[in-house]
Amino acid sequence: MFVRRVELTNFRNYESANLAFSRGTTAILGKNGQGKTSLAESIAYLSCLRSFRGVPNESLVRIGTDSAVIRADVIHDDGRELLIEAEINLNGRNRVLVNKQTLRRTRDLLGVLRATVFSPDDLAIVKDGPALRRDLIDDALVAIDSRFDAIRTEVDRVIRQRNVLLKQAGGRLTEDVALTLDVWDEKLVAAGTVMGEERASLIARMNTEVPNAYDQLAERHSAVELRYEPEWRSRGLAHALAEARSDDIRRGVSTVGPHRDDIEISINGLTARFHASQGEQRSLVLALRLAIHRMVAEAVGSVPILVLDDVLSELDPDRANALIANLPHGQVIITSASGVPEETKPDAIVRIAAGEVIES
Amino acid sequence: MASPYSPPMQALIDELGRMPGIGPKSAQRIAFHLLKVPEEDARRLAQSILNAKAKVRFCEMCFNISDEPQCSVCSDERRDRTMICVVEESRDVVALEKTGVYKGLYHVLLGAINPLEGIGVDQLKIRELMMRINDAEPAIQEVILSTNPNTEGDVTAMYLQRLLAPFEIKVTKLASGLPVGGDLEYADELTLGRAIEGRREVGA
Ligand SMILES: [Zn+2]
Repeated sequence: MFVRRVELTNFRNYESANLAFSRGTTAILGKNGQGKTSLAESIAYLSCLRSFRGVPNESLVRIGTDSAVIRADVIHDDGRELLIEAEINLNGRNRVLVNKQTLRRTRDLLGVLRATVFSPDDLAIVKDGPALRRDLIDDALVAIDSRFDAIRTEVDRVIRQRNVLLKQAGGRLTEDVALTLDVWDEKLVAAGTVMGEERASLIARMNTEVPNAYDQLAERHSAVELRYEPEWRSRGLAHALAEARSDDIRRGVSTVGPHRDDIEISINGLTARFHASQGEQRSLVLALRLAIHRMVAEAVGSVPILVLDDVLSELDPDRANALIANLPHGQVIITSASGVPEETKPDAIVRIAAGEVIES
Repeated sequence: MASPYSPPMQALIDELGRMPGIGPKSAQRIAFHLLKVPEEDARRLAQSILNAKAKVRFCEMCFNISDEPQCSVCSDERRDRTMICVVEESRDVVALEKTGVYKGLYHVLLGAINPLEGIGVDQLKIRELMMRINDAEPAIQEVILSTNPNTEGDVTAMYLQRLLAPFEIKVTKLASGLPVGGDLEYADELTLGRAIEGRREVGA
């Protein structure tokens, strides 16, 4: 699939902007702080309905206005043309229209446009705590099969409800609290167990794809491994929750479950988070993104739109070339503050300054 | 921290913020809006709240909205008094009545278990439901759990299922096929009618 045109209204720093993209490679050039990343973010929003920068959706609306609109013409591989219109509202619900038909739920948009975004902030996936690694895996599962979003939403909802209930209990496990917790637990077990199985099965497949991608990018062999072995999975979530109940009550928070999982990544037997060099960590993040990009392409039979947001400038020329050389054939959108990266041979160039397209 | 608003303004914001689905930001926005509307509009709004409050009440049996002590369903002699269909809100009764399929009684919980919105089992008409079942003459044969097909509705149904397990009552749920994650009232009549007819007994 590819995106032919994006029109932004009151999105981030754009009052209004209209951009045309090549179905091959488009380079978006501009100094830092002029709105390149916001453009990448608008495409990412259409693919996962949130910002890849991990900010609340409200911050996507231009200051002083009530709603942002992203319009995009998307062409699927079978030639089908779709007009996507996403409205982010400060007051009231967000809205999504496809070919002028309002979707019943905004999340029905998932799967209509798929994008993989590489961002300089991705380094935190390897360096920081478990939350970003869980998001990486869960985002990939949604991209592969959008029905996973319902599981993810349910787990998130049940955990939030359960935490409020635990806090309200004030450290006392009365019969009433126990009975109500029982039902929330039953709900959490159903959704959480599926989530654990899906994560485990994706990570098992990644254990062949990520090392391949890593070797191609680093141009030498290293033993890269992902491990997902949460303790609750070996005993079953129902059992683990029952055992953790008095702890949960005492601490007023859900101490066990898929919302606390980690995915440990190692290079040559050492935890990458603590022991890998900056260069290795960078290659690792690229390898994770590239592997998922290929896996999604393979699973859905269509290459997602690839957005390289200011990442090439961070790489040494060898690694940048290796990345470009190993991308599956599809639409690529590159943003850069330092001119057109030579190895990318863009088919179109867009220049941006102060939230405006000055040349395209 | 001291409120940046005058006491009457802060009081209005606080009251609005107590409404379901209204967060602090929305409450502020509505409050500022209300200050701008002509006085007669504000008076009309206040009056319609008081009017509704005075004239509309809940059925003493099933907590459906009613202008009489008992609602039109409970006072209808032709209804099957051995069946109770449990719903979250009165508007769900309206949706189910439109299908014309169901001939029994209702019980409106006035919500679903939702800790995030401060609704626990004590805030719902659950104790009243259990008392009704205990005292029913003729005895209740079937309870249909028709809470909304979303997380909170499911959890509420599961909770009731556990409470009802010791009774010799058939407990059923609407057939699947309703749009998941939505509200009962959004389902079309045909789908909802089929869901009632195809309801299934749930294991204890
Ligand atoms: Zn009634």
